[in-house]
Amino acid sequence: MGQATLVEASAAAPPMVRVRGFVKRYRRQVAVEGVDLTVRRGEIYGLIGPDGAGKSSLMKAVAGVLSFEGGGLEVFGHRVDSEASAEGIKARIGFMPQGLGLNLYAELSVEENIDFFAQLRELSAGVLAERKQKLLAMTRLAQFRDRPMKHLSGGMKQKLGLICTLIHGPDLVILDEPTTGVDPVSRRDFWAILAELLRSQGVTALVSTAYMDEAARFHRLSLMYQGRVLAAGEPEAILEQAPGSVVSVEVEPQIAALRRLGTSFSQVEGIGPRVRVFVPDAPPEAAAERVGATLAGFRLKDLKAGEAELEDAFIALLEKRRLTRISPPASDASYVEGKWGRFDPGAPGGASDGASHGGTGDPVVSIEARGLVRDFGAFRAVDRVSFQVRAGEIFGLLGANGAGKTTVIKMLTGILPPTEGEGAVAGADMRRAGQAIKARIGYMSQAFSLYQDLTVLENIRLYARIYAVPHRHLRARIDWVVEMAGLAGVTGRLTGRLPMGIRQRLALGCALVHQPRVLFLDEPTSGVDPVGRRRFWEILIQLSRAERVSILVTTHYMSEAEHCDHLALMYAGRIIADASPEAMKADLQATAGQLLEVASDRPLVALERLQRGGYAGVALFGRRVHLLARDVGAAIPAIRRELTAAGLREISVTPRAPTLEDVFVYRIMAMERQAREGIQ
Amino acid sequence: MKWRRTWAVAWKEWREVMRDRLFFAMAFVVPSMILLVLGYGLSLDVENIPFAAIDYDKSALSRDYLHRFIDSRYFDYRGEARNVQQLDRLLAASRIRFAIIVPPRFQERLAASRPVAVQSLIDGVFPYRTQVSKGYVAAINADFSAHLLTDAIAQRQGIPRARARQFVTPIRLDARYLYNQAIRSRWSMSSGLIMLVLMVSPPFLTALGVVRERENGSIYNIYASTVSRGEFIVGKLLPYVVISAMNIFILWGFAVWLFGAPFKGDPLFFFTASLVYVICTAGIGLLVSLIVRTQAAAALLTMVITFIPAMLYSGLLVPVESMGRETQIEAHLFPTLYYLRIVWGSFLKGLGWPMLWGNVAALVAYAAVLWSVGFLSFHKRPRQ
Repeated sequence: MGQATLVEASAAAPPMVRVRGFVKRYRRQVAVEGVDLTVRRGEIYGLIGPDGAGKSSLMKAVAGVLSFEGGGLEVFGHRVDSEASAEGIKARIGFMPQGLGLNLYAELSVEENIDFFAQLRELSAGVLAERKQKLLAMTRLAQFRDRPMKHLSGGMKQKLGLICTLIHGPDLVILDEPTTGVDPVSRRDFWAILAELLRSQGVTALVSTAYMDEAARFHRLSLMYQGRVLAAGEPEAILEQAPGSVVSVEVEPQIAALRRLGTSFSQVEGIGPRVRVFVPDAPPEAAAERVGATLAGFRLKDLKAGEAELEDAFIALLEKRRLTRISPPASDASYVEGKWGRFDPGAPGGASDGASHGGTGDPVVSIEARGLVRDFGAFRAVDRVSFQVRAGEIFGLLGANGAGKTTVIKMLTGILPPTEGEGAVAGADMRRAGQAIKARIGYMSQAFSLYQDLTVLENIRLYARIYAVPHRHLRARIDWVVEMAGLAGVTGRLTGRLPMGIRQRLALGCALVHQPRVLFLDEPTSGVDPVGRRRFWEILIQLSRAERVSILVTTHYMSEAEHCDHLALMYAGRIIADASPEAMKADLQATAGQLLEVASDRPLVALERLQRGGYAGVALFGRRVHLLARDVGAAIPAIRRELTAAGLREISVTPRAPTLEDVFVYRIMAMERQAREGIQ
Repeated sequence: MKWRRTWAVAWKEWREVMRDRLFFAMAFVVPSMILLVLGYGLSLDVENIPFAAIDYDKSALSRDYLHRFIDSRYFDYRGEARNVQQLDRLLAASRIRFAIIVPPRFQERLAASRPVAVQSLIDGVFPYRTQVSKGYVAAINADFSAHLLTDAIAQRQGIPRARARQFVTPIRLDARYLYNQAIRSRWSMSSGLIMLVLMVSPPFLTALGVVRERENGSIYNIYASTVSRGEFIVGKLLPYVVISAMNIFILWGFAVWLFGAPFKGDPLFFFTASLVYVICTAGIGLLVSLIVRTQAAAALLTMVITFIPAMLYSGLLVPVESMGRETQIEAHLFPTLYYLRIVWGSFLKGLGWPMLWGNVAALVAYAAVLWSVGFLSFHKRPRQ
């Protein structure tokens, strides 16, 4: 109780961190330019932004492990401006650098890792034993004490990293992208543990993330982009800086609707069969009206309007500051079907080849996996994976790092032979026709696989030759790639010097230069900023809708999964859910109940009460608590009663639409529960 | 300096090396491999030189002459060739390294006291071997000539052959080989290679160990904690010094038992001096780790800056005294020179502290400089 009050009365407390006009340069390149920041005692402060925003530099400087060129920094009221003065704060700080488990020692066991960190901090044996016990129990790692770190899953590594950072009882923890690449359950787990620590030990946290949808986890945050702070404050306050609403509607024909909307609104996306529009400076009702008016003459279904998300605000703020220009996806003319691309419908591996797989009237199956298994020694990386991707469909393969996504792609593209099972891509059997498959597919790997020392044009030409594009089509294909990927101004530039977003589109263009009917994208958007990500998805939607290209994409961004027509979630090598995003959400509501958001003046108390009250899926999101309830009509008054009895005020309980993350967390937990019961 | 924290770093490092198969191999297998491969392969003895001959004379004397070569342990007779063209082919294919052509009427002309020219074709591709081969050929030829002369004088003057021999070679060379009585290059090479291995292996391990932490990001555990840089450096390098100290014993064992090199000196002196040497070379690794960012670069740079001095400037292949003036100065800048003196002094000459202390002092000074520079350039709050 006492601690909880401390958090909420934090405004009066002296700041833990005070940053003024912070500047960090690497040689001539400016990484952070004039950032101000104040972290108060007892809060979880967030730094949100894409790669290269300057988050890591700032955090390292605050941890006293990186020098900086300008501005002032005070930690615990102690000035940090030299190596010697930085030493003065380190006893009270815990720092976890970026990279899942990379700061841990692979060869040492869980316990040995913890003991090493404790010895560095000269912890007495008694204190160590007590804290270790408590933290291992809290993170549910106690039974893995003797397991070498290298054999832990991503989520377990992350929790071990957290224990090691906390073992000496720091007052301030600095965590650099602790949730990147971790499965959604572990992510939630992580936030719950952090909230619990905050409650029980009064730890202050400075945490960075590249996931915009994690904003609600922070008390306050700074939105960073290219070394500057775009906005700072409480999540709600940031949304208010770029007010607006989001309208979502199912529309036919989608491509033409996107084009029409693009002329009036800057943030327009195609999501599954729907379009999603951000309408600035308008309450939901007015926004819905404006979108409806713009789309007059189209067949509209299920028009919904609601609050904007942080990513919308982020992009709107970028536009306001004129840091980016959100152009309509491509030139207007390019949206005319057929003209945009010059696909030859009779090309080998075209839609007609696959027709035999489906019955008459069935959409054509472009990719099919049947019981794929892959073992690496004793380790089963992929376990009986089956799915189908139809022509013109965007299929998302989701999962944490190490779930087996890349291995599946490698098997389907003929790079890796499967241990068991079979697959067909674009009508060719994966085992027998490895070479034939390669001519029919485009593949873009995590690393983009571009030649950094070649120019943009040289890269495209190289890929065209590798894929044996006939000489007479070469010119046309290169022009097509340049236009499609929006590379017109940069064809002569060296690839290595281009921003990540452009490199990504170039890699996509190179994968498409030989007109494949099937496209494999392996984590294509990791590290790309939201603007680049949206642009990329616009191209993918266009390819699938207008060109009927089948796209299999892997990602660990849950928000991206919404764009897919069909999803499969992988967990520990297996597919544990396979449906469309809408169907998955509907299924969650049918089986687990409605998602309720509970706001109150003392969220930590509310969290504890609701957990004890036996509700499902209780989790803290910033200052609000989420939970699942089967019978909403009964649950809302019950929750109100319970919290009022506990002396809380300003209580509100509102139903919210579940996100895909909610779906996956529920599915994974159900599976884990099943596994546990199976053992017993 | 708190020993508990230093010990924590050292103990962590030790366990990592022992459990990581690749690192374990680099620590214990690779050093011995270098010694074995180079110890057997890098022999400078010129023996068993393959040769062929043409005997156009086919007399008793010409056979006698050729048998001087055939019976020598330096030569390996591959048979008689039919003609000069065949010799050319054999030389070109490197099947033989030299050839001897005895002209017709060899015996007849010698009996008539007329001079004879025997032709010798020697492969000149590798000058060192060519010179040695030529030396052997010339020596055998001179010996045979002296033999003929002795016979002629004895016969003509009617004196015993021993007396006649004194006339022919009045000065007899009486050579005694010190330290390495059998003049086996294997003795000096196997012991000398300890110098090379201990120059390459400790910095290799050290540089990779430190750079690996930086590459992974686990170095931030050190940066962000209260461990001082001195504690970190000592703790981090200690396991590598211990591993290298163990290697001193292993390599010493190989040299003595496998290659049969004698160890005549003071073992305590040798191991003390060797320990100083590995502390010194580990310091080289520390410096490398501060310059480069990736493990690949660390490995490459370490190889270049340790292997070359150890091979070329230490005196292992070419005596330092025979180098040019500038090269000699360069040679004195590397620790390898001093340690090689210690190695050969201990193994072959049986020397100890009284004769070699100066070299140990040079190594101590070298180590002190390297570690100080390493300490001063290591920062817990770097610029990037």
